[in-house]
Amino acid sequence: MKTMTTAAAVLLLLSAGTSAQTLDDLKRDGNGGSTDNVLTYGMGYHQQRYSPLKQINKQTIKRLVPVWNLSLDNNWGEQAQPIVYNDVMYVTNAKATVAIDVGTGKQIWKQTLDWPPETPRVVCCGISNKGAAIYNGKIFRTTLDAHVIAYDAKDGKELWKAKAAEWKEGYSLTVAPLVANGVLVTGISGAEFGIRGFIDGWDAESGKHLWRRHTIPARGEKGNETWPQDTNAWEVGGGSAWITGSYDPELDLMYWGTGNAAPWASQSRPGDNLYTSSVLALRPKTGEIAWHYQFTPNDAYDYDACWELINADITVGGAKRKVIMQLNRNGFVYVIDRSNGQLISAKPFEKVTWASHIDEAGRPVETETAKKLRAGEAIEHWPSTLGGKNWPHAAYSPETGLLYANTIHNARMYRHLEIKPYVVGQRYQFVENIQIPKKPGEPYGHIDAIDPLTGQQKWRVPLTDNPIWSAMLATGGGLLFTGKETGEFIAIDAATGQQLWQFQTGSGINAMPITFTHNGQQYVSILSGIGGLWWNIARERLKDAVPQGGSVWTFALLPE
Amino acid sequence: MRLIMPTIAIGLCLLTLPVRAEEGFPKEQIAAGAELYATNCSPCHGTRMLDPEGAFNLRNFPPDQHDRFVNSVTRGKNQMPPWGDFFKPEQIEALWAYVVAGER
Repeated sequence: MKTMTTAAAVLLLLSAGTSAQTLDDLKRDGNGGSTDNVLTYGMGYHQQRYSPLKQINKQTIKRLVPVWNLSLDNNWGEQAQPIVYNDVMYVTNAKATVAIDVGTGKQIWKQTLDWPPETPRVVCCGISNKGAAIYNGKIFRTTLDAHVIAYDAKDGKELWKAKAAEWKEGYSLTVAPLVANGVLVTGISGAEFGIRGFIDGWDAESGKHLWRRHTIPARGEKGNETWPQDTNAWEVGGGSAWITGSYDPELDLMYWGTGNAAPWASQSRPGDNLYTSSVLALRPKTGEIAWHYQFTPNDAYDYDACWELINADITVGGAKRKVIMQLNRNGFVYVIDRSNGQLISAKPFEKVTWASHIDEAGRPVETETAKKLRAGEAIEHWPSTLGGKNWPHAAYSPETGLLYANTIHNARMYRHLEIKPYVVGQRYQFVENIQIPKKPGEPYGHIDAIDPLTGQQKWRVPLTDNPIWSAMLATGGGLLFTGKETGEFIAIDAATGQQLWQFQTGSGINAMPITFTHNGQQYVSILSGIGGLWWNIARERLKDAVPQGGSVWTFALLPE
Repeated sequence: MRLIMPTIAIGLCLLTLPVRAEEGFPKEQIAAGAELYATNCSPCHGTRMLDPEGAFNLRNFPPDQHDRFVNSVTRGKNQMPPWGDFFKPEQIEALWAYVVAGER
C-alpha cells in the first residue's frame, strides 16, 4: 500500500515535470495567465509590474504578515526579481541560484558560482544579478564574469554554460535573460570600461550562440557614420545593455535600451554615436534592427537608456496607440509608438539643466549649461550622473494610466577631463563628478505618480534620507509595494502616495517585489540585502544603521 | 645658528622615518599615483579622495601603515577586488605616495 502511494506520488511528480511552461505561458504571464506563476521579468513581457490581484488591499493590508524568510548567505547585495513556477520560487544573486518551496520557504536546491575575485574591478555599480528566466524546464541566468548558464529547474543540475565575453576586457553580466519567440536573449555590462556593447541570441536547449547585435555598428554598417571615421572611438564606445528588454509577441519585437557612450567625456567621439543611449526594436529570431530611437545623441552625461521600456496600449489624442514608455535617466519621460519608433511625447519629470526640451524631430535641444560642459567647464548637472531615475523599475497601472516610480533629485558638479588612451579592462570615463551638498530639507528623491504624456506628478512623496533603489509593484488592490535602503518593505496607497504598512526586513532593499497566488492566497515577495550603487555612495552614512546580508521574505494575510 | 641646527636635526629625523616624511615623496611619483588613482580608484574612493563613495576614506589612511596599504591593494579587502595582477609594484608605491602626500 505504501509502495502504491509512493508510485502515485512519483507519477504526479513526473506529470508536473512534463508540464514545463511553454512560450504560450510566457506570453500570458501578467496578461491573463495563471496568477500562481511569475514567469517573466517585469511580471509580463510588457514589464508593467502590475498585478490585478486584490486580496491584499487598503482594508486588509493591516493583516499582512511574513509567511517565511530564507537567508541567501550573501553580503554583496540582492537586486533580483524572483521567478515563480509550479509552487517553486527561483532566486539569483551574484553568488548563487536558489530554488525555494513557495509555501514553506524551504530551500530545494542551490547552485553556487565561482568567478575570479578580480571580476568586481570591471563591475561599476554593485556586485549583483537581476534574476533568472524560465523556459521549457530550464532556469537561465548570467554570471558576473560574463557567462550564460542553463540549469535543470527540477534539481539545479547545470545543463550548459556559454561564455559571452572576456571579463578582463571590461565585460560583465548582471542582466536577467529574456526568452522571446523561443530564443534566449542576453545583454552586456561594461560601458564604464570602454566595451563595445551587444545583445546576444542563444539556443535555449543547447546554449549554441545564434546571433550578436552590436549596439555600435561596425565600419561600413549603417549608423557607423555617426562616429569619427579617422579613429577607433566606435570600438570602445560603450552602449551596454544591462536591463532585460520588453517584448511584444504580436509585433514580434523586443525593446532593448542601450547604455551610455564611452568615455563619459565626449571630446573623442563627435557625432551622434549610434546606437548608444537609445532603444533598439529587435527581431528575437535574428537580432535584426526593425527601428531605433536615440534619447541622448552624443551622450556626455552617463545617460544610459537601459531600463524598462514599458509596453502599454494608451489613448493619445483620442486614438489607441501601442506605445513603449520610459522614465529616462536624462530627466524626460518618453512615449514612443512601439510599432514604428515614432516619438509621441517627451516631457521632463525632474529638474533638467542639460536640455530645454525635445524638439519636433525628437532631438534634445541642449542648453547653455550643456555647451559650457562641452567647452570644458564644470557645470551644476541636473539630473546628475545618477539620473532623474536610475534602474529601479517603475510600475504602470492600466487602471489609472499612471507610472509609479522612485525618482532621484540630485545635482553634481560635473566636468570632463582630458581623455587618456584606452587601456583594456580599465575605467574609461575621464570626468570629475563631485556631489553638491544637500540643502537642509532638500529631498534625495521622490516616490512619484507620473502622467506619461505630460511628465506631471499626480502626487509625489519627498524622501529626505535616501532615494529608494527598489523597483515598484502596483496591484489591483490599489496598492504599491517597494522597499527602502534602510530595510523597510512598504505598501503605499496608489491614489495618494500615503504609506499604509511597513515591515523591517533586516537589511536594505534594492530589489523587485512580486505578487502571486498560492492555494488561493495572495503572496508578496521581496529580496532584502543592501548593495548596489547607493550603498557604494552612502555607505559611510548607512553602515552603522543598515546591516548587510541577503534573504527572501514572503508575506500573506493573517486569517481574520 | 641656534635656529638652523634644530631644523636640520628635525629634517634628519624625518629622513630616517620615510613613512612620516610626506615631503619625502618625489613630485613625479605623487603625480603618477594621482593619475592612476583618478582612473582606477576614484569611482569608489571619490574624486581626489573627497566624497568617498562608500569605500574606505583614504584621507584617513594611517601614514605609518604602508604594508597594510600594499596588502589591501594587492589582495583586495572586504568588497575591494584584488589589484595585484593589474598594478606593477612601482605603481602601487605611486598610489601610496599619492594617498599619503597627494591631498594632505
